[in-house]
Amino acid sequence: MNIRNLTLAALTAVGLVAAAGASADTLGDIRERGAINVGIDLGQAPFGMVDGSMKQVGSDVETAKALAEGLGVKLNVVTVAPANRIPFLMTGKVDVVVASFSITEERKKQVDFSKPYAVSEVVVATTGGLALSGPADLAGRQVAVTRASTNDSLITDALKADNVDASIVRYDDNAMTTNAVLSGQQDVYVVAQSLLVPINEANPSRKIEPQFVLRTYPLAVGLRKNEPELKAWLDTWVTENLANGKLNGIYETFHHAKLPDVIPDA
Amino acid sequence: MLTSFQIQALLVAALWTAGLSLIAFSLGGAVGLLIAVMRVSANRVLRAISFTYIQIVQGTPLLVQMMLAFFGLSILGFSIEPFTAASAAMVIYSSAYFGEIWRGGILAVPKTQWEAAECLALHPFQRFWLIIVPQGLRISTPPTVGFMVQIVKNTSLASVIGVAELTYTSKLINNSTFQPFTVFSLVAVLYFCMCYPLAWWSRKLEDKLNVAHR
Repeated sequence: MNIRNLTLAALTAVGLVAAAGASADTLGDIRERGAINVGIDLGQAPFGMVDGSMKQVGSDVETAKALAEGLGVKLNVVTVAPANRIPFLMTGKVDVVVASFSITEERKKQVDFSKPYAVSEVVVATTGGLALSGPADLAGRQVAVTRASTNDSLITDALKADNVDASIVRYDDNAMTTNAVLSGQQDVYVVAQSLLVPINEANPSRKIEPQFVLRTYPLAVGLRKNEPELKAWLDTWVTENLANGKLNGIYETFHHAKLPDVIPDA
Repeated sequence: MLTSFQIQALLVAALWTAGLSLIAFSLGGAVGLLIAVMRVSANRVLRAISFTYIQIVQGTPLLVQMMLAFFGLSILGFSIEPFTAASAAMVIYSSAYFGEIWRGGILAVPKTQWEAAECLALHPFQRFWLIIVPQGLRISTPPTVGFMVQIVKNTSLASVIGVAELTYTSKLINNSTFQPFTVFSLVAVLYFCMCYPLAWWSRKLEDKLNVAHR
């Protein structure tokens, strides 16, 4: 993992040097080519996933389709993973990424973001109808979370800030944490709200219900730096399609929840 | 349960894994043989070149080689397909290891065999290819096959650059179906089906080449 991160960092740095200076016209290239290469993470249900017939589905897939339609070009889906999204972008393997890509200060140093088109919400969820309204209600309870994830640091900080005495039980990956909660080891789960949709569909007998939102991350289309035309076009497109309800509709279809009225910028 | 489409996707992905492995066996084996011969060559320059090559390749992780082949070449302006990049990395990686394994095999053949061959008035080329190499190959069969099994499993690293091989596809399906046990059991069976024949073939080969000790 460390080696991978180091290498990615090094390669990205080289890419930065190579890309610096020249203000490229990717928007012009896309129009000339008649196709846009969009990086989508198909391992992030329900943003991007494959259905029973191995077709690519999800809110990011639909968003990318709408984006290509808006540009009047063909959509080429390139599958990316969280760890290689930025390298794919920096090395020109994709024109943009629509890959549950949240806006962070760290990433802003390397790539540009459009206006946010959706959100990823980290929620505290429970099984068995347990109702909670805030971190204070967690006192004396066991909370399941995936180790070293953003969710882990969020709940750790929240409990510390409110001085709540709850025990955090950490598992190695989302699948394990989910299994622990489903099997009743813990009844409180700190998790991305979106992940609950497919989990609840697969396990209708033991629903995990969101109780309160811990943090909302804005998700945006990622693009290379120095692309003023493409960025301007994407910003207009996102603003228009949020206003006319198209992006909201896509989000609701796959996440079974509404987008907030105002999406925070960071 | 998985749908027939998902099972079919896993089988297709297994073919990519097998294809990548076969490329590494054949091309990597060919380059590896060259490296092995260079390593035992009387020429100092050839020895130094092959030694450096092996040190560099063995001293860097395959994952990094994959990413260098894919992203690195793109930065330099070459457009390269993920599968081509993965194949190139697998060939480079396997050739260094094959080279070193076979050098060991060649050097393990007793010196008296060289001398005996010389007594039979064989040309140096004939001594090497007809007397030494066959014996060296027999000695290096177990490590060679062991490494081939490693190659099959290491092709899973190609998933980082987007090659839809077996591991990549299985993760994709698992992340959409949330049935890790079913998906990964099937994947384990598929990998086993690719690796077991190699082990079986190794035993046959050892029997066949074991002429002197029969």
